[in-house]
Amino acid sequence: MTAVTEIPAQHARLSTGAQAALITVIFGALCLALEGVAPWLVKWPAAWELPATQWVGGFLDWFLNGIKPAMRLFSDLMTYPMNAANFVLGNTPWPILIGIVTALGWYLGGLPMAALGFIGLSFVLASGYWAESMNTLALVAVSVPVALIMGGAIGILANEVPRVKAFVQAALDVMQTVPTFAYLTPLLLLFGFGPVVGLIASAIYAAPPMARNVMLGLERVESEIKEAAIMSGGTRLQQLFQVEIPAATTQIMVGVNQCLMAALSMVIIAAVIGGFNDIGWEVLLTMRKAQFGESLMAGLVIVVFAVVIDRMSGTLATERKRYDSRVVWAMLAFTVLFTAAFWAWLPNPSDLTVLDPMATAIDNGLTAFTQANGPWLDALKNNSLFYVLLPLRIGLDQAVLPFTWGFAWTPSMSYGLFAIGAAIALLMAWRGHLTGGLVVLILIGMLETGISNLPWPFVLTGAAALGWVAGGWRLAALSVGLLCTILVSGLWERALLSLYLSGAAVFFCAVFGGLIGLASAVWSPVWTVVRPICDMLQTIPLFVFLIPVLMVFQIGEFSAFLAICAYAIVPMIRYTRHGLVNTPEEMMEAAISSGATEWQIMRDVRAPYAAPTILLGLNQTILYAFAMLVIAALIGTTGLGQSIYLALGQADVGLGISAGAAMAILALIADRMVQGFAEERRKALGL
Amino acid sequence: MTDAKTPAIACRNLWQVFGPGADKALTDALSRSGDDADKAAADLREHGFIPAVQDANFEVKEGELFVIMGLSGSGKSTLIRCISQLLPGTGGEIRVDGENVMGASKKVLTDLRRKKLGMVFQHFGLFPHMTVAENVAYPLRVQGVGKQERLARAQEVISLVGLEGREDSFPRQLSGGQRQRVGIARSLAVNPDIWFLDEPFSALDPLIRRQLQDEFLRIQATLKKSIVFITHDIQEALKLADRIAIMRDGKIVQIGTPTDIVLRPVDDYVREFSKDVAKGQHAKVASVMRDDDERGPDDPGLTTSMTLDAALAHCMELYEPVPVRDADGNIVGTVHPSDLAAALQVDEA
Repeated sequence: MTAVTEIPAQHARLSTGAQAALITVIFGALCLALEGVAPWLVKWPAAWELPATQWVGGFLDWFLNGIKPAMRLFSDLMTYPMNAANFVLGNTPWPILIGIVTALGWYLGGLPMAALGFIGLSFVLASGYWAESMNTLALVAVSVPVALIMGGAIGILANEVPRVKAFVQAALDVMQTVPTFAYLTPLLLLFGFGPVVGLIASAIYAAPPMARNVMLGLERVESEIKEAAIMSGGTRLQQLFQVEIPAATTQIMVGVNQCLMAALSMVIIAAVIGGFNDIGWEVLLTMRKAQFGESLMAGLVIVVFAVVIDRMSGTLATERKRYDSRVVWAMLAFTVLFTAAFWAWLPNPSDLTVLDPMATAIDNGLTAFTQANGPWLDALKNNSLFYVLLPLRIGLDQAVLPFTWGFAWTPSMSYGLFAIGAAIALLMAWRGHLTGGLVVLILIGMLETGISNLPWPFVLTGAAALGWVAGGWRLAALSVGLLCTILVSGLWERALLSLYLSGAAVFFCAVFGGLIGLASAVWSPVWTVVRPICDMLQTIPLFVFLIPVLMVFQIGEFSAFLAICAYAIVPMIRYTRHGLVNTPEEMMEAAISSGATEWQIMRDVRAPYAAPTILLGLNQTILYAFAMLVIAALIGTTGLGQSIYLALGQADVGLGISAGAAMAILALIADRMVQGFAEERRKALGL
Repeated sequence: MTDAKTPAIACRNLWQVFGPGADKALTDALSRSGDDADKAAADLREHGFIPAVQDANFEVKEGELFVIMGLSGSGKSTLIRCISQLLPGTGGEIRVDGENVMGASKKVLTDLRRKKLGMVFQHFGLFPHMTVAENVAYPLRVQGVGKQERLARAQEVISLVGLEGREDSFPRQLSGGQRQRVGIARSLAVNPDIWFLDEPFSALDPLIRRQLQDEFLRIQATLKKSIVFITHDIQEALKLADRIAIMRDGKIVQIGTPTDIVLRPVDDYVREFSKDVAKGQHAKVASVMRDDDERGPDDPGLTTSMTLDAALAHCMELYEPVPVRDADGNIVGTVHPSDLAAALQVDEA
């Protein structure tokens, strides 16, 4: 019935998507046509820019100076536990620490975890980075309790006071999008150079996941359990601490796990500001000296820590068996005896060079590899740069040069390209895909112009159109409003550059991640291979991704692109597979009994059903790409990431925070739009 | 009121309305409609509010098993949560042992729950991190009862529900039926006067359900609590209840004994429910008895408390009126066998 009445309506009026696309096309065409007459349409004139970064800087300087005494007092206070942790970890003989970690592993997860702890720490010992690792661990050991208490308190408070909850939720959403480096600059101003900055940054960074999971956990406690606590006559505090929090333990432990990982990740990133002889600093130092063997070793030490911490704390969130505690005591006793017996012969871990030959071998191997495969690697890199990334960035009209492409781009070629685009659009419109045709036309236009050269009115219209389709006029207004703040602040060009690089990476991840996810869904052997890789990629701190790409492709945009892709592709793979695998059995059976082939089931049943989940994966991929973009600034990107990194070096709070905010704005808009589309799909499917 | 005793629970004009600013909306709606509940409810719906319980009036006498029956969405769960004050209630009053609990302070409510109320939940509401014994002892723990003492009391109620030997199990290690036994034991730990049961057996398999119903009746026979029992199952309601209240769309449409409900439904909605019920198993001979003395020669030995099924079995071959005796053997009335058959006729409405 409804279908019958709707079809004529569609013919009579354009769908929302087609309207939005049409408006965007018209605006784009206008901008192109008027380019010669009104150059201000393409490039936002510098005279119209407001000195927003200075304003932000001025305000923050004033504000930060105001709270500085209190913060300095806090940081002085924090130095005590820090020094204590440093002292304990630095002076405990290494066999005892290895013994403790192994025993802890046994207690948490039996033999596999004990083995993981033992082998992991033995590797750290053998690498010769023991002292640096202990410094890192000391920071984590102090920042995590702070983060747990802060996050837990925020989560509980939000659960108790509904009005606070909405605010906390919004604040956490924003914090998730603000890039990690952006936190550091104001902290630097507050606390000065030194390990305390890393400590506080990681505590701030690690608290939100804890808060989120505490809120979620408390919210998900079955209402009848809460009611049973009330009917038992418990006071609110008794209900909370005796029933609701214990009942939410599993989710809270997920929070603890994420909190630990975030803290470790941030402590390592904070090494960028230096002043502390930790493992992150070691990676940076060796990377700068192009000692990739050592750098990889230090990177592996970080990975080992990440894996050990992640897997061990991960057992907290699962149904746990009880392991014999006598084994724990036996292990500890043996460790102490071993240490006492061999006290005089224990080597100083910093002098250990067991793995140095390996580092040298890696270096040599790498040199040999790059020499042997030089032409091939260069070709890959240059082809990707010249034929894909560069045209995307500055457009075919500027990227096509005789030097690389063998011919020069002429205006007539532009006309030809547009004519082809228009023809495709017409053809598709003729076949009933008007919106699709218009989108093709827009994409061709963008390819000709280049993302970083897009006229600003076109970008605003495009964002408004997308926002309108995804979430109504409110999202459209929000997107335009936020983008305008970037436009007037003078960060527009850099924002477009960031958009280009993350856009290219997201596109790559969407296509290849989607394909890998599809392959994993239809053929399980693929998943058995892909899954541990995904697990590993998600455990590794962001920083470490830079090492291998740098080793092979040196500093530059292509390396940054690869690092971003390697990190951001994981959610796309996971969500695509998850969505496709979880098609309800009944729907599959209904399709099979209707006589559909494998391929038809995939296209008509599984893919549409998985669409909202896949969109959520895309959303995660976008956020991951933005997060990595800033880290990748270390190995050479342009755009906002670079600004944030530079601001850190110059302690320029205004620039750091403004650029960070601009990144957050881009991420936030992308997040809301994709969520909007996902929500719409979910509603359409009645989920 | 002929009964001098205060009822255990008394609800007067009880409303529960959902929506922002429901308190004021209800007052306004009632004043607009001149205290006509139906009009006020329609008015509230029109303004986007949900009147989940409308103008509920009933009493639960001491030691009475009062069943509230209705389909899902009829407001029965909301009603029991109002009475137990898990929901605040929007208008009217609820008296527990004569004390109005609507709008009572947290302290008063906590105290009431610690001394007088017990509640059983549909999905058990067991604390997953506590053992059976700890779950059962929890209502005592919040009152600060010492460990020895509360575990001893827990042991008593655990034995009462037949779960000896499972004291140290965790809820996840128990079957559904066993879990609900824990829920029942916990609700009885403080020996409450008033017992709320919110669809306690609905989540169980039919066989286990019947078993627990029988045990529930056994426990109630010794404890004599005042009970509010929620169910969506007419058979269960008829089997357990002293009196039944039938709810529909937030309104109580009929209150009566099982026999009333089966033989004298007030409207088609209630009739629909009783349609599938084997009336003969629930209605008593008293309901079809006449006062006249015209009887035939036969006396098959009918009594007033006999079910219609049993009576019919005694009168299979008879066509003339027969006498009915009371418990003491005195003849108190007459039954026409044709009336028996007519009463058992299934409605083809």
